[in-house]
Amino acid sequence: MKNGNIHIRGWGAVTALGWGASEGARRLIAGDVRPAGICGSAHLVNREFKAFEVPDDGNPLEKSLKMLDASITEAFERGGLSASEIAESALLVGTTGGIFIRNEHEFTESVRQNPGRESPPIVCRNRGPGEVADVIARQYGIRGLPITFSMACVSSSHALVVAADLIAQKRIRRAVVVGFEPLLNLTLQGFASLLLYDPDECRPFCNRRMGMQIGEAASCLILEEGESAAADQSGFWFAGGHLYNDNRSLTSAGTDGEMVRGVVARALLKAGTDPGDIVAVKAHGTGTRDNDLSEGRGLAKVFGDRLPPVVSLKGVIGHTLGAAGTVETALWLSCLDQGVIPKSFGFAETDPEIGFAPSQENLPAAAGAYLFTFFGFGGTCTAYVIRKMAS
Amino acid sequence: MAASYLGPALVPNADAAWDEAKLPANPDELVQKMMGQPMRRAGRFIKLVCCGALACMSRVPEEALRGRNIGIFLATGLGNIDEILPFITQVFKHDGGFPSPNQFANSVSNSAAFFLAKFCGIKGVVLTVSQEELSFESALWLAQSYLAAGEIDLALVGGCDVFTPSVEDYRERLNLAPGRYRRAPLGEGSGWLLLGGDGEMKIGDILSVEFSSGLTDAERPSSDDLLKYCEKQFEELRHKMESPDDGCNPTPLSFPRKRESTEIPKKLDSRLRGNDRENVTKLFLPGFRLSDMNEALWQKNGWEMDDYLIACGISSTASACGLARTLLSRRRTFLVHGNFSSSGRPALIAAATE
Repeated sequence: MKNGNIHIRGWGAVTALGWGASEGARRLIAGDVRPAGICGSAHLVNREFKAFEVPDDGNPLEKSLKMLDASITEAFERGGLSASEIAESALLVGTTGGIFIRNEHEFTESVRQNPGRESPPIVCRNRGPGEVADVIARQYGIRGLPITFSMACVSSSHALVVAADLIAQKRIRRAVVVGFEPLLNLTLQGFASLLLYDPDECRPFCNRRMGMQIGEAASCLILEEGESAAADQSGFWFAGGHLYNDNRSLTSAGTDGEMVRGVVARALLKAGTDPGDIVAVKAHGTGTRDNDLSEGRGLAKVFGDRLPPVVSLKGVIGHTLGAAGTVETALWLSCLDQGVIPKSFGFAETDPEIGFAPSQENLPAAAGAYLFTFFGFGGTCTAYVIRKMAS
Repeated sequence: MAASYLGPALVPNADAAWDEAKLPANPDELVQKMMGQPMRRAGRFIKLVCCGALACMSRVPEEALRGRNIGIFLATGLGNIDEILPFITQVFKHDGGFPSPNQFANSVSNSAAFFLAKFCGIKGVVLTVSQEELSFESALWLAQSYLAAGEIDLALVGGCDVFTPSVEDYRERLNLAPGRYRRAPLGEGSGWLLLGGDGEMKIGDILSVEFSSGLTDAERPSSDDLLKYCEKQFEELRHKMESPDDGCNPTPLSFPRKRESTEIPKKLDSRLRGNDRENVTKLFLPGFRLSDMNEALWQKNGWEMDDYLIACGISSTASACGLARTLLSRRRTFLVHGNFSSSGRPALIAAATE
């Protein structure tokens, strides 16, 4: 279904770049970024993995909840939502780990407080991914329908498309869409067991790329139906999107690029946008061999020799997994808001199989349509188009 | 079009006995029978999702599914916790463990939906939804939205949660504090519905899925409030059946702060009309959070109670089994399933069986 009458009223994001989408965008545009590093959080049991950690001195559970709070507050303040508007909103959350950080924090604390003793088995007492929505709803008094999507790396991007679909169907009027992914031993060790890390840096679309690096983040977008003063102020419209699940491979989007081509083409159709109208692509660009090959070939098939600037943000914030959809969208919108399409970091050499280089310089952010792509474990893909109105 | 349920005894569509102390049962024999092959690398959650859903799909002839755009809506409260626990135990092992990549792959939240989609040959809308004890209600509401919008022709909607030892830990994960649940054994299950179609194979109608906006215990409707709501819902539906030209949207009900609901189907059969009304059983299915039901008053008002937890025990998505079980019962029934989230938000599903 088409989503042409939905504006993005507010957004916020906490990433390794800072405690707000605006701050993160400023640093990204200025090139004030740091590579992934060995993480300092007390709950991490292995110090070998580099990741993009949100700077903070607190304990990991409190920090994670603070990230969630900061991103939602930023979105509410940017959108100028009243308490009654917040209360009547639907709440859609995308997360894979939920509040599993509580288990990891409690376990490592119990070990730390009992030096010399053999550590007990970890107790898992979190209530599943849906607990995040429950915490948010109670904290902010959100009384609309809560739904949590736990769909690996497309969790929050799928949530955004579903939110837009529900608004288009007049089932809801406004959606608070949240992505949340604290840094977990579970995921750090998990992707390590799959041998998917680049030990040096995340290099999206680069011929020297060796894998991904994980980042932690929390983020929030507010989608709302119809035109209003808030819509004029935001200047961003959700034009349309498409979510799709393939069933051929659990781990790959198909390196021929066909599935990517199909999903992007369908998203453009739903958004009523021709490929030639796309100003720039915020690509998924994980830095893994297969993902970037699938995506690169798919984008080349869609755009041919008129490929717009392609940017991956994972070279500066890492792969924020289930939160990637809302995090990267929020950060991107803040960059556009500051008048800039940011450059892609971590690139050195064109992969002949991909055949293009991601954008290597900051560009002026023109009004028009921007394409966002996300791919995940389990054959999942999301693509959507957001329009920036002329100021 | 079809329904199925699988309880802790792992016998499809039957109320087979089980012992909480001996959970979980080995599903491999059932997997072989249902799938025609073993799933050696998959965990119990993935196996139960696939077996439960295939038990539902197998009740429909292949030709009824051919060429149809089917969406999958998998609801789970705790997800593949059976894979996450051994993996994280390895990660935190005292002298350093060796986490298995296969175990991690299976622990990813949407692996089960992927395997189900693969077995069923389904591509497109495949969503894994989690909202604690209202996960299934959320998935059902979402599936009806996608069906109504014409995005899909059929929706395979199910709820699955698996028991993971110990009983005390499982109880904590379900937030089963004293006084906040009905006395019933802990369990697990995989309950599925196939929704949509042109009505030829219809076994019932999902009439509405409603969520209240309550956020606290103080806002929880009482047993009497629920009864009033169900009575009004029944009368409302009966009125709609007798006056179909009034449109399909019900007038606002007095249930506190009604927020999200589906629309009543424009054309129901004559089940709830006129004299037939007297032959319809009014059935209430209490979810596991409803610990203080005034059953005598309900019965006085002509409602039967169906404690479906005897078939599946307590799990986050037990409502899926309860609903599927009633739809399979072939009784002429108007039914409402009610439950609360642990923080007090009520959700109700109204349905009618053929």
